[in-house]
Amino acid sequence: MKQFDLAPARHPAPANLEVVPVAEMTESTRAIRLTPDFDVETLGTALDHLDLIIVTFPIFRDGRGFSQARALREYYGFSGEIRAEGHLIADQAQFLRSCGVDNVLLDDRADTTPWLRALSLFPVTYQTRLGLR
Amino acid sequence: MKRAIRIGAGEALVLTANRLLDGHIVWRDSHGLWQRSIVHAAIFSPETYEAELETAIKSAQSDGVVGVYEVVVRPGIPAEPVSVRERIRAFGPTVHPQFATELDA
Amino acid sequence: MNAPVGHYQYQTADREFLASRIAEFEGQVQRRLSGELTEDEFKPLRLMNGLYLQLHAYMLRIAIPYGVLDSRQMRKLAHIARHYDRNYGHFTTRQNIQFNWIKLEETPEILRQLADVDMHAIQTSGNCIRNVTCDQFAGAAADELMDPRVHAEILRQWSTLHPEFTFLPRKFKIAISGSPHDRVAARFHDIGILARPGEHGPLFRIFVGGGLGRTPLVGHELFDSVPEADLLMTLEAVLRVYNAYGRRDNIYKARIKILVQALGIEGYRKAVEHELSLMNPAHYRLAPETVAAIRARFAAPDLTASPDAEARLRNDRQGNIAFDRWVRSNTHPHFAPGRIAVTVSIKPAGGIPGDATSDQLDRLADLADQFSFGELRVTHLQNVVLAHVAQDKLLELWEVLNEIGLADANHELIGDIVACPGLDYCALANARSIPIAQKLSARFGIMRCRKRSANCASISRDASMPVAIIMSGISACLVLTNVVRSFSRSLWVVAMMHCHVPVTYSGRPCRKMIWLMPSPVSSIAI
Repeated sequence: MKQFDLAPARHPAPANLEVVPVAEMTESTRAIRLTPDFDVETLGTALDHLDLIIVTFPIFRDGRGFSQARALREYYGFSGEIRAEGHLIADQAQFLRSCGVDNVLLDDRADTTPWLRALSLFPVTYQTRLGLR
Repeated sequence: MKRAIRIGAGEALVLTANRLLDGHIVWRDSHGLWQRSIVHAAIFSPETYEAELETAIKSAQSDGVVGVYEVVVRPGIPAEPVSVRERIRAFGPTVHPQFATELDA
Repeated sequence: MNAPVGHYQYQTADREFLASRIAEFEGQVQRRLSGELTEDEFKPLRLMNGLYLQLHAYMLRIAIPYGVLDSRQMRKLAHIARHYDRNYGHFTTRQNIQFNWIKLEETPEILRQLADVDMHAIQTSGNCIRNVTCDQFAGAAADELMDPRVHAEILRQWSTLHPEFTFLPRKFKIAISGSPHDRVAARFHDIGILARPGEHGPLFRIFVGGGLGRTPLVGHELFDSVPEADLLMTLEAVLRVYNAYGRRDNIYKARIKILVQALGIEGYRKAVEHELSLMNPAHYRLAPETVAAIRARFAAPDLTASPDAEARLRNDRQGNIAFDRWVRSNTHPHFAPGRIAVTVSIKPAGGIPGDATSDQLDRLADLADQFSFGELRVTHLQNVVLAHVAQDKLLELWEVLNEIGLADANHELIGDIVACPGLDYCALANARSIPIAQKLSARFGIMRCRKRSANCASISRDASMPVAIIMSGISACLVLTNVVRSFSRSLWVVAMMHCHVPVTYSGRPCRKMIWLMPSPVSSIAI
């Protein structure tokens, strides 16, 4: 698998962190993998000790990961790295970036050209034009 | 995933799909080619259609078709689909007779 | 050319956006053809550009945001019908128009042609926020409290390629009206909004969780008075709760109405209020300057009319029974003296509800230029509105409509049947709806009294019945009650649902609303 950067991570997590499922996290855990049905609010102060949170997409049509990422950034001020994993398509690149995802994990054989192209489209979104942040 | 289909006595099957580029309905002939008219459709028995369906689904991308599936018909020329929906697909919308499918296409 | 009246005037940024969207779609088509995208992956992408794969071909559904379009746009639709389809289009119940014989390979070119006149097919399908619908008499009706189009345009912009809400559990429909007579069926939408002026700016009453389909539910009031500044913030919170908790395991239980039903309206409101408490209002505030800038892009027509316009209309109606009957059924009072809003029926008796030929679309564009500042609206009852006709010109308009076969005096009467394309075109349908609609309107919808006919009186009475018939070819698009009755005078109707709805129908109290669906098994033999 390879990592594709949607944007430079503000606080990149150290490489080779052990990622544990959110249900199994302990006080020393620094990287977790969420399930789409997980309520990120329940992380509470545990967020302060995390460097990497992975949001997962069982299928690209399941958009819960977008709301999880955005809530982590906006409601709970998480400034570590957010990665997206699972079934994702290039056409979602900009949505992921807008919701605060730093990078996606792609298959080694995946062509990154459509991902790069997707990021270059729509330099101005309607949401920003309306003054929403 | 296998669809549940009901095949009555004397009924048989043909294979259908839509062409990816223009959406046209097509029917699979005895050479494995996709034809515009049901007149050219190869007729399969309930025992033999599954292997052909599997082959057709595998080559759908290279054949430029989408949504391959089987249709129950009463054999004849043309074969007549049993369901209203498939008769509409084979012969055209009932509300626009001017758009009836050309069967000798 | 003068600025179009009645809808938001595009600027460079909007046109660049559409160009990007078309380039993106062309790339998606190429990736689909090469096999890089599977059909399962491509399908939601093409749907969010309005492209379905139907029975006979692709179908392209084009958005008419809040139902308003100008004559230039209408002529472009006629052109598309002529050159890329089979010379006709079908107006839908959600203020879209769809073409039934489209080719995938020609779709990017069609989208470019649409973009030339500031139109698109974005989010007319797919599990996203759909084209926002609006009162067809917005900015014209005498009974209106507030013109909702500026806010409808804001909702269009806000929902377009929303980063968080483009992969929802299911489709999401929003309607907005500014009339006390809800003409958008607000309580039958995922979100229905009723706008009114308040002391310090507009206020919005928000309903959530209504809908038809196989689980028909009336929407609940979520908030009574949301101020303008908080409108988008509130909608974001509603969508967020739905995106996180709406069911994704069962397509029939995935709409927001099922979630609202499961949580109860109090539970849903609590969840929304919790979201709101976490949100920073400054990040979501809809600023008055933003609203003003969008409002400034709506050109207003000069609605002054000749002082004797009303008197001349009164005079024209006297002695012309057919014209008088049409004025009674197919016009709506305008707030401006001497003006009147006209509903052009796209429901000729025996015809296909909502279908118009390219020639008719062109003629409608001409009539809009001649009689209504080049502006047209399409309605959720599949008709067309000329909203600002001078009353002294009404007779002239009616005469032209008669010539082109669009003068049926049946608006909101029994002949004004709403019908989806049904099994003749739709891949999701399981029954044919159009043939039944045609037979019903041919039987009941004829106003003309045949001479020396014994049942002349009864035909007239039938045709003026304020009964709404809604034909659905999809059992999933049905039904308000399960009371099945036989319909004595229409033996060809196999199953029928009959109900009294707790709301008015399109602003007027309606004696009966009838939902019909022919039985798939015994659907008329072909």
